[in-house]
Amino acid sequence: MSIADIAKSVIKSINDGDTLATVTLPASNFHEGTVKLATVLLGKKLGGIYITTSRPSSHIITELEEAKANLSDLYFVDLVSMTVGGNTDDARTLFIESPTMLESILLNITLLERRLKSKRIFVIFDSINGLSIYSTPMVLKEFINVLGNSMRIKSIYTMLMTVEEQTDDDLAAALELLSDTMIGT
Amino acid sequence: MAKKDVTKPISLDPRGGRPREKCVTGIEGIDRILNGGIPVGNIVLLAGTVGSGKTTLAMEFLINGAKGGETCCYISVTEPSSKMLSNLQTYGFFDDSLVKEGKLNIFDLTVINDRLGVERLDGTYTAKDMEALLGAFEDIVDELGVTRLVIDSITAVCYQLPDKGSIRNFIFRLSQFLSTFGCTTMLISETIVDSNVQTYSIFGVEEAVADGVFLMGNIVRQGDLLRSLQVIKMRGAKHSRARHLIELTPVGLAVIPLLKWGQDGGQAFT
Repeated sequence: MSIADIAKSVIKSINDGDTLATVTLPASNFHEGTVKLATVLLGKKLGGIYITTSRPSSHIITELEEAKANLSDLYFVDLVSMTVGGNTDDARTLFIESPTMLESILLNITLLERRLKSKRIFVIFDSINGLSIYSTPMVLKEFINVLGNSMRIKSIYTMLMTVEEQTDDDLAAALELLSDTMIGT
Repeated sequence: MAKKDVTKPISLDPRGGRPREKCVTGIEGIDRILNGGIPVGNIVLLAGTVGSGKTTLAMEFLINGAKGGETCCYISVTEPSSKMLSNLQTYGFFDDSLVKEGKLNIFDLTVINDRLGVERLDGTYTAKDMEALLGAFEDIVDELGVTRLVIDSITAVCYQLPDKGSIRNFIFRLSQFLSTFGCTTMLISETIVDSNVQTYSIFGVEEAVADGVFLMGNIVRQGDLLRSLQVIKMRGAKHSRARHLIELTPVGLAVIPLLKWGQDGGQAFT
């Protein structure tokens, strides 16, 4: 699927009333595709929370700005910058000390949700594979389950971004069981 | 024979009964764990290891009460009140005006002891000293109309009592008059971990007399320390007994259930 087709599928999924989507992209255009998806949703007047586990938020902000995305109602939860000693001073970002502190992600989503102005909200989780570096499969599956159900209760449209080549059958099955829709596979 | 009323729904609440009036802590997640808050007048032992967030939690409990118009009081046993006030300035949820308006009152136990003349060189209270100290606490609560009280720490007070019987008696007497005044109280208990087992108190007496026990600690997950909180008991309230993560956020403390697989399997509770 092209990135444009994936974006269309995501919009359709939102319009269909889904709340949880697993979006799988190949490693070759994963970052480009994820930024494009966020840009499309921001253009549809949705407020967003971007959770980054694979790259610093400052890097993603630069890419979104280059893509001319409207960042006025977008916030970040960054699990990378503090770990690698990067910039941790940004008004729209909440930084988490370590990627092992998974519960903090849920707490920070709750905090940021209150700041968002838009009525319709999305969460983009970039990426599930980034977390698997630091967490055992059992912890990761439990976290996905808790995250998915928390977002479902809040009716926040959530995209769990996964890298095609890095997602094993066990993780894929867990994601499929939880998600309303699988996009990009 | 009267027919059985089959239309009356069966209550799904396993406890039933009428709930007690609650003191809403205002701390994100804790009131949910306690099904609305701490029953008014309860004495809660806030037991935890160093750095587990006991003082911060107790302070936010007082500040939230003061912001709601209640008169709150903090009795500092282990550090000067001036130092405590300086630390408070670092919290986003603190507001100076609460102290100026008399809604948040901070006392040094050493100053109280000096005024009562009960400071002993050997650091041990006599029975007469105990009576004087209980009387002083009662006067503070009564005269100021205190509805939320924190003693930080009860462990330091207990060290000055001669034996376990005196500790039991002191806390029991304290809880009696605080309950009468409807003053909800947190007693901070410094605990240690021995062979991966955390106690609720140093003397093993405080938890039996207290109405509630919060157990706070640090969980090690892949070398990182996570603060945890678990409500062990709370008389007069249905409550969760699950272990939770507690974290300081820009708007105060927040509590969320801890991942089950992320707390055991070789991870020490310290």
